[in-house]
Amino acid sequence: MQNNPRDAGIRDAEIEDKLEAWAASQSDAELSPELQRKLRDMLASSFKPVKPVPAQSGLVLRFLCVFAAGAAGLIAIMSRIGLHLMTGAQIGWMIAALGGGAILFSLTLARQMVPGRRQRLPLSLVLGLSGVGTIAAITLNFPWRTSSAFVSEGWPCASMELMLAIPAAVVFWLLARRGALFASARLGATLAGLAVFMVLVPLQTQCMFQQAPHLLVWHGGMAAVLIGSAALVGEIQRHRWIS
Amino acid sequence: MTQYQRADSDALDELVRRISPPLLRYFGGSRFGRNDAADLLQDCWIRIHRSRHTYRSSEPVMPWVYAIARHTGLDAYRKRRRLESREVLVASIPERLHRTMPAERREQDDFDRLVAGLPLSQREVLVMLKGSGMSLEEVAAATSSTVGAVKQKAHRAYITLRRALEKVRENAK
Repeated sequence: MQNNPRDAGIRDAEIEDKLEAWAASQSDAELSPELQRKLRDMLASSFKPVKPVPAQSGLVLRFLCVFAAGAAGLIAIMSRIGLHLMTGAQIGWMIAALGGGAILFSLTLARQMVPGRRQRLPLSLVLGLSGVGTIAAITLNFPWRTSSAFVSEGWPCASMELMLAIPAAVVFWLLARRGALFASARLGATLAGLAVFMVLVPLQTQCMFQQAPHLLVWHGGMAAVLIGSAALVGEIQRHRWIS
Repeated sequence: MTQYQRADSDALDELVRRISPPLLRYFGGSRFGRNDAADLLQDCWIRIHRSRHTYRSSEPVMPWVYAIARHTGLDAYRKRRRLESREVLVASIPERLHRTMPAERREQDDFDRLVAGLPLSQREVLVMLKGSGMSLEEVAAATSSTVGAVKQKAHRAYITLRRALEKVRENAK
């Protein structure tokens, strides 16, 4: 018995010929006039002019405006003690990391709002860049100290992040659903990523524990859990029409 | 397509006339039979119609159409699987008799069945590439993947078909 199929004489060209014949046999699926009329009547009943979704730059700008407004609004109503505890460099690095993440997530979300559009920015790259950027900003700029009350100090931050991120993700979904028609892990992770980064801004300014372990575990850890959970929900609901 | 967005009824007629046959082929070539293809086509057109605002004139039409068609098909497939899991088979359906066919036609018939038995992701790539004549880039856009991934799926489909065809020939001997 020959193990290599090529040795058996079946070449790509033969497969190609058979596929051509298969494709030709498929092409006899002609549209009947009755079905054509039925389709036309069905669609004509709700036929109104529509406004196309804005250009990608417009969508990105819209997401970033909501991001900035949401973050500013939460900062305004929450405590700002963390802002006074951070140095200028720490503030600058965190603004760069969280703002950069927001831009990346907005870009990838805007591209998902046109079906059949090539994703030039893979989600893995967006998650990697924003994650590494934020982790680097924290590890390089914040002190590595932990207190004895690490857990009791941390869980209120994590639960607040959870409580704020879910409605924020819903807001971004309401904005995106006009174009993001189908559920997917990518869409879930993108929406959660944008919401989480928005919530991390006021959380950073109100947190009185400006130490790297606290920020990484309680702020970053909850962010990872939320993004992962949203991706899982998207995967479970995959291909479902959500618009 | 832009005129369709502006509610031009002639554009609607033209689109239905042009897009429906490849969509019918796409659904017919998927896991669904040709009888279900017409139902899926109607479902797909409703979704195309409801999401016509998401089309951008700067983008090619067919990847946009196929992206919607693909999700429509996969959503229907998932619903059907859920229903089938609750069904109980009361009688087996006899295999189609094709012994009386000429050898060449019989082999093509076997080949059609082999294509139908390919994994969904590989078969849809073949349907788009061969059945609809789309480019690798267009298929990549329609399936939310990369050109490399599309090439890999097509390559795997070729390998699977070659092996299966070899097995069919060996059995025939």
